[in-house]
Formats: sequence, C-alpha cells, structure tokens
Amino acid sequence: MALAIRFALFGCTNRPFFHIVVMEKRRAQRSGKIKEMIGSYDPMPNQDNQKLVAVDFQKLQQWLGFGAVPTKHVAELLGLGGFYPIHPMSYIKAKRKRTLMEKQVADMQAKEETQETAAIQVNEDTQPDSTEDASQ
Amino acid sequence: MAASMKCAWARCLSTILLNSTKHRCQISQPLYASCSNISGDSGEGGTDQTRQEAGPADDTKKHRRDPGKAFTDVRVQKILLRLTGLDLDKVYEYRAAKGAGVAKVALMSDQQLKKVYESASYKALRKLQMPPVLGAREPIDEVLSEDPELEGLNTSKLVFIDISQRVPLKKRTIVVREPNGTLRKASWEERDVTLQKYFPQSGRKIGLPRMFQQDNLECMLDDGKHEYILNRACSQFEIDDPEYIRVTQRTYEHIDGNGKFEDLRSTRHFGPMIFYFTYYKKIDKLLVAFLEEESLEDSLDLVKLYHIVHPSCKSAEKVASMPDATPLEIIRAFAEMDATQKSLVQQAIQTYEKECDSTGSTQLRR
Repeated sequence: MALAIRFALFGCTNRPFFHIVVMEKRRAQRSGKIKEMIGSYDPMPNQDNQKLVAVDFQKLQQWLGFGAVPTKHVAELLGLGGFYPIHPMSYIKAKRKRTLMEKQVADMQAKEETQETAAIQVNEDTQPDSTEDASQ
Repeated sequence: MAASMKCAWARCLSTILLNSTKHRCQISQPLYASCSNISGDSGEGGTDQTRQEAGPADDTKKHRRDPGKAFTDVRVQKILLRLTGLDLDKVYEYRAAKGAGVAKVALMSDQQLKKVYESASYKALRKLQMPPVLGAREPIDEVLSEDPELEGLNTSKLVFIDISQRVPLKKRTIVVREPNGTLRKASWEERDVTLQKYFPQSGRKIGLPRMFQQDNLECMLDDGKHEYILNRACSQFEIDDPEYIRVTQRTYEHIDGNGKFEDLRSTRHFGPMIFYFTYYKKIDKLLVAFLEEESLEDSLDLVKLYHIVHPSCKSAEKVASMPDATPLEIIRAFAEMDATQKSLVQQAIQTYEKECDSTGSTQLRR
C-alpha cells in the first residue's frame, strides 16, 4: 500500500503525454485504478518551445497530507517548478549534459583542426616544382 | 405604439432609471478594482466624489496617469450613460449569432406592454455596460530564483500553471523555468495564452487573431465595421491589454477621421469612445457633430465631462466663476479657451445659433 504521486503515461506512439496522478506506486498506470488526476505534463515542446505542466497544487498538498509520496521524476518536476527545492538529480543531469556538450564541442573543434592541417599538408604536397626551385 | 412614442418612452425611462436608487451606475467599479489589484496600483475604489485631477495625457510612460480613475468617477459615468442613450431598436437588433432566437409575436394590453418595455429597458442597460477604459498594464518582471547550475538540463522552457479549483483567473500562478535555470513569473502574453489553453473563454483565440493585425484592421475599419471590431476586441483581450488599447484607440481615431460617431450611439462602446476623446483632449470634431445634430444637451454634457476630467483647464475655471451661465455660453467658453480646432467649433456654434433663430426656438432640444 504505497500511495504515490506519479506519472501515468498516456498519449500514443511517438507522442508521450503524462497525467500526474495519485495511485498505488506499483500498479500499472492504465489499469484504471487511478485515485485522482491532479495534473498533466507534456514532454514535447510546443511551437513556443514550451513544455506545459499543469498541477492542482491544492489537491497535491491534500494528498501529501494523506501520506502520498511523489516519485523521483515527479519530485524533480515539482522542484523545477518551485514547489520543492531543486532535486539533486536535476543538478546531476544538468552537469552530465553540460559535460557531454563540452566534450562534443571539443571533439568537433579537434576534428576541424585536423582537417585544416590535412588540407594545408595536401596543398604543400601539390605545389609546382618551379616555386620549390625559386625558394632554394 | 408608434415609433416616435416608443423613442420618447425609452428616453423617459432612461432618465427615470438613472435617477432611481434601484439601478446605480456602479457597473464598472468592481471590474476596475480587480484590475488594479494585478497591475499593482493602489487599491483605490472608484467613487471619488472629490474633484480629482485625472492628469493630462503625456507621451512619456512614467508620467502617464491612469485613465481608469477618471473613468470610474460617478459623475463621469452618469454623463457617459446619458450620452449613450437607449435606443431599444438598436440594442435589440437581430444579430446572426449562436443562440439568437426568433422574435415572438404576442397580443397584449397596454399595461402588459408597459411592463414588457420596462423589463426590456432594464435588460438593455445591462447590454450597455461600458468596458472600462484603463491604462496599459505594467509588464511582469519578477524573478523567483536563479539557478545557473541547471543550465543544459532542458533546451525548452517549462511552464507551470496552477489548476486549483475556484481561483480567479487573474490570481492563478503561472511560472516559467528558463533553459538557463531562471525561475520567473510568466509575462502577460504567456499568461493570456496559457490561461486560454487550460481555462478557455468563449470568443477568444489563442494568440492574436489576424483581424487585429495592423493591415487587416485598416481594411475592416475602411469597411465601416467599427462596432464589430470593438465587440470582438472586448471578447478577445483583457481591457488593460496594450493590444486592446491599440485596437480600440485606432478604431476611435478612424471614427473621428470619418465623423461616424453615430454608428456607436446606444452601444456599449459609445461611452468609452467619448471618454477617450475627452481624456486625450480631442473632443472638437465630436462637439461639432453634436452641434450639427442640434442637440444642445449632448454638447453641454460633453463640455461638462471635459471640465470634470480636466478640472484645471481654463474654461472650467471660467465657468466655475459664472454660476448662471447658459449652455451656449459654457460651450462658447470652451471653444475660446480649450478647443484645439477653435475656428471649427466656433463656426459650428454660429451655425447652431442661426438654425435656432430661424426656427424661433432657443430651448434645449434633442
């Protein structure tokens, strides 16, 4: 009997959409045993590059009072929204993504440099003999 | 009932209703009060009986006073309602819309007819409720938290809205977490769009309807669809939305340019239009139009309204010193001292006097 505030995945193929619901933690989300729906989260950004999250905060606080516990991801989302402090995993994920991005940028720069030096090498090799004689 | 009798009856009724205690002109005040909460103004109500300086309209944002305070003055409201008039035929004109019913035909006694007219007039006054004229809302600029360590977590913004029950729309919390980690309150535009998505209001579209884009608006104005534009603007925007103010002001200017003031007579937009011209000191053409119609009452009302909204103007001071002035003298004082197009107004007064002399009547008539 673990009452949770969790995501329930609805939507369809290639189009996820989460309802934020109160239900048993280990139950299947589409089993129809949702106690109450208290919000939604759309993970796909819209035209204005926004991900919409709607939460009935009054109901949320009531259920928290009943002893419902938010799952990791719901807690992360609520942290980003300012209801909870920011979840440590948010910081960790952000850091990981930043490191990955920096590594990708560094790799690309390294690649470009090697390409440039290769191009210069090729140019030097294909220069005509006359200039070589002139430089001597 | 003959048409002329019906008009006279309606006019009679509107004066009775204005003076009755049952139906006070307090329609716009609660709306203004709720707007002033959100825009950060001091929570003053509307019933300012003292002579309050409404303030000249200035181009600089800092010094621009709020027209709402002047608009909700009871004296101003009374004059605007009187000027709007009550043409039952126009108010109950058939409009092709959802829910528009078919007219009923009934056989009644004179007493029953009188009762029906009374109730229709009360309902018509509700239809003539004026959308308040307010200053543009101040932009929302509040940052709740800065978390630069969240940079890189999301490439898109996260918009959080509180969907708790029974919270007024204006008080709903909407916050945005930016990709750089800043948590801030949503701007007015973001608020309007998000609220329309989760709490849709009928007659509103998400985003700006193409009709209100500058070019399309001009086309519609040239077609003469002033009332339609104003009605749609009222349903689409909040009244302190800068877009609403832009659309309505452009419409009023277009009407002023073409002299088509009577299009809006006996609609809910006539009052706000008159108030706009009065507040921004552009009543000359309007005054001329009233004088050409030979309605001295309306002209006098307009000048009186000007004196209430701008109590420190020269003609107001002069009129205050002449307690027994006739209507024409008051209007002439305004024309001499405060009219921007002096010659136009003075000419109109002269023409009016000539007409009066020729028909041999100098009494107030409509």
